[in-house]
Amino acid sequence: MNPFYFGSSSRRLFGLYSPAERKRSPGRAIVLCNPWGREYEWAHRSLRLLGAMLSGAGFDVLRFDYYGSGDAAGEPADATLAGWEGDIQAAIEEIKDTAGATRVALAGRRLGATLAANVAVRNRAAVQELVLWDPVVNGDAYIQELWNMPPDPSLAAWHLAARPAEAGGGHELQGFPLTETLAREIRALDLLGLVPALPDRTLCVASEDRASYASLRSALKTRPKGPLPFDHMPSPPASVARRDLGAGAVPVQLLQRIKEWLG
Amino acid sequence: MMAFREQAIKLGARDSLVGVLSLPADAQAASDVPAVVILNAGIIHRVGPNRLHVQLARALASCGFHVLRFDLSGIGDSENRPDGLPPTAAALADIREALDDLEASGRTRRGVILAGLCSGALHALLAAEADPRVVGTALVDLYLPKTFRYYRRHYWKRATSVTSWLSFLRGRNRLWRAVKYQLAPDGQREAFLNAGAPDLGGQTVPVAFERAFLAALDRGVQIFAVFTAGMEDQHNYREQLLEAFPRVPFGERLRLEYFADSDHTFSSEVLRARMVRKVGEWAASAAFPDPAASKQPPGTPMT
Repeated sequence: MNPFYFGSSSRRLFGLYSPAERKRSPGRAIVLCNPWGREYEWAHRSLRLLGAMLSGAGFDVLRFDYYGSGDAAGEPADATLAGWEGDIQAAIEEIKDTAGATRVALAGRRLGATLAANVAVRNRAAVQELVLWDPVVNGDAYIQELWNMPPDPSLAAWHLAARPAEAGGGHELQGFPLTETLAREIRALDLLGLVPALPDRTLCVASEDRASYASLRSALKTRPKGPLPFDHMPSPPASVARRDLGAGAVPVQLLQRIKEWLG
Repeated sequence: MMAFREQAIKLGARDSLVGVLSLPADAQAASDVPAVVILNAGIIHRVGPNRLHVQLARALASCGFHVLRFDLSGIGDSENRPDGLPPTAAALADIREALDDLEASGRTRRGVILAGLCSGALHALLAAEADPRVVGTALVDLYLPKTFRYYRRHYWKRATSVTSWLSFLRGRNRLWRAVKYQLAPDGQREAFLNAGAPDLGGQTVPVAFERAFLAALDRGVQIFAVFTAGMEDQHNYREQLLEAFPRVPFGERLRLEYFADSDHTFSSEVLRARMVRKVGEWAASAAFPDPAASKQPPGTPMT
């Protein structure tokens, strides 16, 4: 695993490249797209394991941090979804260049899944396969869900605190700035509207039975160009901290399913 | 405007640890201050809770410090150690190897400050005991033995809390659990009594920590200790550190803060900004010893 920075000097992104343990022909590469906020922190273990499983299965794997998140340059308040989708595109170019791969897949979790879907639909030539892991189906509902999530009692005083307008406004959500710009962009997310244009090789896998997944499952099943699989694999959610760990669970069977589907 | 640059690195004896160096923007700037190493908080990877460690590293780098954040083996992106050391011993071995790499790159001429939150504070203190390169420690929410005053405050608060009485009546109170575990087999009773205490390989916290503080202070190590109200189940007043270790002559080498308004992970931007500022002020003003004056070799790992 090689940690490195890539991207432009004004938008340096942190990446972790895991070369395929056995090269395939033609080369296949995958970019993993992180969730946002605390879900990113808590799911880090799962994404690391997924990356290790995929590199072991012959994929060149790039995990990376969006601008303003993780080890990337920038501040959390700088985050915009438009910028992050550009970062996914930059990651695709980076792994194609680094690994010489001709086939690139995207796999994203939660918000990262929906951003990956946006990129895949907009740039069909660049993304051949797509994995949506517990995707955000509707941005408005997602924000409402985070908004209504009972905070850890020790965080209660700061949960949903208003932020100053000069710092982007909005609110603090679970310790992360949800600026007005970011909130507006998230609210506009609509995965159902993307379903008809998703790549023909798309897998949706869900660890939880969310209300929004009924409509997603139906849309995938009745997709005009042919149905797409929706697998419900009940498992402890990777993005919800277990109090004794301070991190999310690692749903090994679900990760195994992703690896097998990608082949 | 912060001025820093960052490098992604692999370090350790097997290049198996992943880290990020945050450095002053001016590569030629002479470094006459200690390097800073920020340790994992629990199993959260090197960015820290709510990205606290990134914020702290960049702020310190902008002030001239060379700062390393890295993942201990088995945490974040670092590989497991192949030697099968128990967790605390493995962490101390990782820290020693990271400091070896910093030393090899000429960054430890003025010594090293180890900074850590929660388990990171534990590792920082124990590493400071044995490694003469350590000249300072920033310990945030270090686990503390409970004192009489702690219990008095704790139970007074609970006795005046409606929530506590409701829990008691519903059978979910800690007292009921205590009764239940008194009736349990020996192994379970032991686990209950030691709940929350770090695993030090059979040593008790008061003994191990007192020895570490005495050894570090004897070398002139400067200590910045921060406690928050977010760990009420472990500490609940500013002077608990002093009263828990009455035989340790902290004196002027200790700067002590208690944030009654803060949670354990500094989850708000305001709390993080204050925390980062306080660490920076301490690091810029503390009288760190000259590590060259110490003749002790780096310590050996606990087994």
